[in-house]
Amino acid sequence: MKDFLRTLKRSKWGYIFVAPWIVGFLVFSVYPLWLGIKMTFLNYNLVAPQSIKFVGFQNWINGFIDPLFWKSIVNILYNQAIFIILTFFVALLVAYLLFKISNGNKFWNAFFRSAYFVPTITSVVVVMLVLGNITAPYGPIQSLLVKWHILSQPIVWNLTPILIMPVIAVITSWMSFGVQAIILLGGMGTIPTEFIEAARIDGAREGTIFWRIIFPLLRPQIVFIMVMNAIGGLQMFTQVYVNFGVTGGPDQAGMTPVLYIYDEGLSKFQMGYSSTLGFILSILIIIATVITLKVLQERN
Amino acid sequence: MLKQERRERTRAYILLSIGLIITLYPFVLMVMSSFMTPSQLLNNPSMIIPMPWTWSGYTGLFKDLDVLLLFKNTLIIAGSVTLLNLFFDSLAAFALAKLKFPGKNALFGFMLFTLMIPGVLFFIPTYTMLYNWGWVNHYRALIIPSFVQFYSIFLMKQFMEQIPDEVIEAARIDGASDPVIYARIIIPMSVPVLATIAILTFMGAWNDFFGPLLYLRSPSMWTVQLGLQMFSSSIPGQNIQVLWAGEVVITLPILIVFLFLQKYFIRAFTNVSFK
Repeated sequence: MKDFLRTLKRSKWGYIFVAPWIVGFLVFSVYPLWLGIKMTFLNYNLVAPQSIKFVGFQNWINGFIDPLFWKSIVNILYNQAIFIILTFFVALLVAYLLFKISNGNKFWNAFFRSAYFVPTITSVVVVMLVLGNITAPYGPIQSLLVKWHILSQPIVWNLTPILIMPVIAVITSWMSFGVQAIILLGGMGTIPTEFIEAARIDGAREGTIFWRIIFPLLRPQIVFIMVMNAIGGLQMFTQVYVNFGVTGGPDQAGMTPVLYIYDEGLSKFQMGYSSTLGFILSILIIIATVITLKVLQERN
Repeated sequence: MLKQERRERTRAYILLSIGLIITLYPFVLMVMSSFMTPSQLLNNPSMIIPMPWTWSGYTGLFKDLDVLLLFKNTLIIAGSVTLLNLFFDSLAAFALAKLKFPGKNALFGFMLFTLMIPGVLFFIPTYTMLYNWGWVNHYRALIIPSFVQFYSIFLMKQFMEQIPDEVIEAARIDGASDPVIYARIIIPMSVPVLATIAILTFMGAWNDFFGPLLYLRSPSMWTVQLGLQMFSSSIPGQNIQVLWAGEVVITLPILIVFLFLQKYFIRAFTNVSFK
């Protein structure tokens, strides 16, 4: 008992210093989570709280068979399939090029690193407005494509359901490849140069060195990037909201799960139902994260 | 051997330069368009040089969009969130990196686990809770829930672990208590990581759109991102250059900070991995 008290006294400051995080976690995560679980069993209109009603599993059943919710899931998977592959390979190429020049002139090395990072520090709102303009029917890209007869007429991508998610994926890619490149470059920097030198002396070609030596050693960074993709990408909101508001665009091809949850909760005030959709989406995201880890992580 | 290396490096420079044009073109277009007249923007979209140059986009920022107010509002939120996080994150990071207390490893393991929980899980319940508390349309709804963040604690902890234990032990022998060690030793020695966290947190709050959209109702309380989005969806065609000027002006503060402190930005991303 005495020992216990002494330990406690010596540890006093440790507990006091981590206490704010614990309190914050209890108030802003644990309590909302408990509230959220309760809400999934309620018909709860935020602006008419007197009409609150217990509905059992009705919200869950409705969520699992809600065609628009599942459409939004399909939309975001379509978007992410393009985004993840495109961003990763562009980032890998840029990281490798930056790695190549990392022993060269210091100024240019720092210049290129920073310049490729700039899209990452720009807000999603600004990116969507600027790149939305660049890709618009009479914007600079399409004007040139029409002038060179590559396109017979300009395309209004945000009115063409099949193109909405791919274009948003490319725009988001432009914004994100820089940070992924810097992460991968960080991994390349930890590879002992002897590995690469030895292979080169043995006459290995550049492609062989890259795919056989460098790429496998980037596994920790690749796992990190892909886990962040799984968690963050499926929660896309601002990109579609800036373009379409809560409507999700023509044929709701731009509807994402979080946009749908936002619409149910913040415009229709269906807190029980939107909370349930939040749970279903979270479960799907956790499954995606676990699969990503299982597939990519080293087994030992 | 050397010759081949030099040739490969030259090739890398050429490819990086081409890539850079694609990467930075939108910024060039953004700046150029902000100096164009509306008629040029509407009739000559593929032309990149303003003909004639006009400042009307920038003067319009004060007329059509109260940009100073938006700046002030955003500074209040982003500044508060940043200061709170610097203090509370560094306290927790110090405890986790350098102090001994029962349950520390379990707590840290649990904190790591919380990183995997998707934020959307808390979205509707937290909104409901803050709505019922009457926090909607108050800055505190955006400040208080983000006062401490695990990801920043994690980055700070990694950094503080490299501070030699001997320094702390020596201070302890001299009679310094843990709060004194925190204030006199840990904080001065952690300036680089504090700078990194300050920049990332401030940028996150400055660029945030979702939070302000949820909680800020009165236009007089809007932040730069929310204000610009609202302006863009209500914009009359004749003032389109104001939108471009707005994009430039709200990107500029972060860009300036980035140019001066780029190594701190980039450092935050060079050591991340998942084993």
